[in-house]
Amino acid sequence: MTTSMALDGVRVLDLSSEMGWYAGKLLADLGADVIKVEPPGGDPGRGLPPFWADQAGRETSLRFWYFNANKRSVTVDLTQHDGRHLFGRLVDTADIVIESFRPGELEALGVDVGALRERRPALVWASISGFGLDGPHAGWEVTDIVAQAVAGIAVLAGYPDGSPQRIAGNAAYVVAGISAAQGALLALLHAEATGEGQLVETSLQEALSICQETSHLGWDFQRWSRERIGEQHRMPGIGTYETRDGYIYSAVGIPGFGAPWTELIAWMADEGQAEDLTEPQFAETFAAFDMRTLGDPERLAALAPTLARAQEVLTEFYAGKSSMEVYEQGQARRLLIGMVASPADIADSHHLAAREWWVELEQSRGLGAEPVPLRMPGPPYRLSATPVAVRGGAPRIGEHNREVWVDEVGVPFEDLSVYAGEGAI
Amino acid sequence: MSDAGARPLDGVRVADFSWFGAGPIAGRTLADFGAEVIRIESEARVDGLRLTQPQKPGMSGYNVGAYFNNYNAGKASLLLNMGAEGGREVALRLIERSDVFLSNLTPRVIERWGLTYEELCEVNPAIIAAYQPMQGTFGPHRDFLGFGAVLTPVTGISHLSGEPDRRPVGVGTNYPDYAVNPGHTVIAILAALRHRRRTGEGQRIELAQLESVAATMGPSLLDYTANGRNPLRKGNRSSWMAPHGIYRCRDGARGAVHPDGSTVRERWIAVAVRSDVEWSAFCEVAGDALFTQDERFATLLGRREYEDALNQAIGAWAADWEATELVEALQAAGVAAGVVQDAEDVCEHDRHLRQRGFYEYLDHPETGVSLYDGPIVKLHATPGELVAPAPLFGEHTYAVATEILGYSAEEVAELTAAGVLA
Repeated sequence: MTTSMALDGVRVLDLSSEMGWYAGKLLADLGADVIKVEPPGGDPGRGLPPFWADQAGRETSLRFWYFNANKRSVTVDLTQHDGRHLFGRLVDTADIVIESFRPGELEALGVDVGALRERRPALVWASISGFGLDGPHAGWEVTDIVAQAVAGIAVLAGYPDGSPQRIAGNAAYVVAGISAAQGALLALLHAEATGEGQLVETSLQEALSICQETSHLGWDFQRWSRERIGEQHRMPGIGTYETRDGYIYSAVGIPGFGAPWTELIAWMADEGQAEDLTEPQFAETFAAFDMRTLGDPERLAALAPTLARAQEVLTEFYAGKSSMEVYEQGQARRLLIGMVASPADIADSHHLAAREWWVELEQSRGLGAEPVPLRMPGPPYRLSATPVAVRGGAPRIGEHNREVWVDEVGVPFEDLSVYAGEGAI
Repeated sequence: MSDAGARPLDGVRVADFSWFGAGPIAGRTLADFGAEVIRIESEARVDGLRLTQPQKPGMSGYNVGAYFNNYNAGKASLLLNMGAEGGREVALRLIERSDVFLSNLTPRVIERWGLTYEELCEVNPAIIAAYQPMQGTFGPHRDFLGFGAVLTPVTGISHLSGEPDRRPVGVGTNYPDYAVNPGHTVIAILAALRHRRRTGEGQRIELAQLESVAATMGPSLLDYTANGRNPLRKGNRSSWMAPHGIYRCRDGARGAVHPDGSTVRERWIAVAVRSDVEWSAFCEVAGDALFTQDERFATLLGRREYEDALNQAIGAWAADWEATELVEALQAAGVAAGVVQDAEDVCEHDRHLRQRGFYEYLDHPETGVSLYDGPIVKLHATPGELVAPAPLFGEHTYAVATEILGYSAEEVAELTAAGVLA
């Protein structure tokens, strides 16, 4: 048997809202046949910004396009008896269902999830919800910012004199999608080995809570809660610095991470900008630095004038260069520095270009409109034997109704127009 | 039904050469779901997480750091010095007997240690080898160094997170290390395992951490590549919801005195209003607060246009509320809201997490009963399971060397004397 993709032969029905899109995308790019099951008017998430050319519409959302590329689309009205019947027949052909309804919401529509799963014992049913399927908050409303708040991570981000902050990019949805995809694949391996399917439950709160880092562990051991520190407790070499055209993040001086502070001094000296930092006291101070120094207030107080002077010279040095110069020249010296890259910087990165990471494809804007060329971010990983591939753009609403319902599920074509007429699809 | 205790990765052995966060967390998920994961450690390169805070108070050494322990529950620890003569042979012997190789070492170290995919294939052609280089194994930046705090800026997250009128300071943690990079790695490994079960063929996985994180930032990147717009951070505001933000409530008591001496803590809640219907529900909760009658706020467009005034009004109103009570009132009305929980909340007060039993408390020989994250996803027929706390440093060297690698006691003694094993 020849297979070219890791998930060849796996059919996934994706009923999810924005909250679950990424899970289906991950499976689709690995080769699964992912079919979006949308209500007749289309997934409400099709209305989310940003839009192509700022033209708001059902077929122009860049957000939708990115997370739904490589999927097919059928429409079906689950509130109608005939719609549910059709959906049941489609489920009979599926290996994995992904949905992000609130617990009980599907059943309230009249969809008997238990019966569907009984009919197809190997089926993996992946539920993504804000708080999981049981517990006192199970039915609560959720959005990305709410999940980030309850997961214990918003409290860690931001300035102490500002408010807690959320992580950009809908981090809760992204992380939930990644968790659900892991769960679905684990369950798929089990189902393929044993014939036993199962329910896979992702809670946004729980999935994201691992991103608390040490916060919860600190409470467990020491009974204190970490809070956002912004730029407090800054050591020279560690933190955000302004450059000629933006910002960089510098992490120089963490023992064991990259080249030490003395390399930073050598760099400044090579460019004639080290000023008095070449005097031995600076090299000696930084050479003696370790994690214990950072936690010793008395020692830090004694060193304060030296550290302040080093900070001043370094700030001036970074400010005279572009972000890319600081980043590339510093990294060439094995100094841990990253530029604070904007989307434009990432899009223009010569490193990512050399790696041929971006995906170019034609994206439909709906019937009758010219498709547009789209340059999309590439995949998160490269598999040598079963390469990841984005084979096509996101589907139009119900684009594959005929193909899926008639050719694959076996609904007679005449019946399809009846179902369409009554609004079941 | 399945056999009692059967898990999806039973019988899968992982040679885990990774350290710190992104690699070991991937290994932890594999271990939770049945894999036998062997961490390769060394006195010459101690995993930094064994040494950092939080450490069990009053204790020291390699075994009392919660940061390490949390990510390594259920694994074995083998001490193997790759720098010693004969070290590589032991490593290859383990790889020969493993299904998965996992590493987040830099490409330089992989090459120095002779652990490239081609070299692994010489002893085990069916191996699934997962590498997590920072920026990939080729390309002009291939040797760039980093970890979560450096990935956050280079992938656009820092530029896009936080308040627009202030410097970008990141998100307060090494965010990409905890879910995005390990999670993507596990997905790739599981996909490769499926392919191997069907065809017998192994493969090489390269997860460039830069690409793995940037892949999650699709909409912002497309806004630039398609529209030419270079978006900037906008704090807690949304491009389509209003109000949408984090609002301060009445201060609350701390469950324990903070190291800075304080006994009170700030309380904040997050709120997201997605429609005019939800806004009406929000106003019901607000009762006779003046902003509920303000015509400017009646529509989404109005609330977005006058968002400063809206946030000010809501902030003033929320300040008198106790955070949990306000969240419960809003949720009862159908408005998405949640307390900005800190560690004390998550560990002690969140009755929902507690009732679901998310956190697990394992008895570790040195730290005693300690908190561990539960499995990241709940499989109902074959649930993840933390079968043991984190291994002590080198706890399983002898067992792995004899039972898995097949060395005799004498050979182990020789390898130990030669500084290869410890």
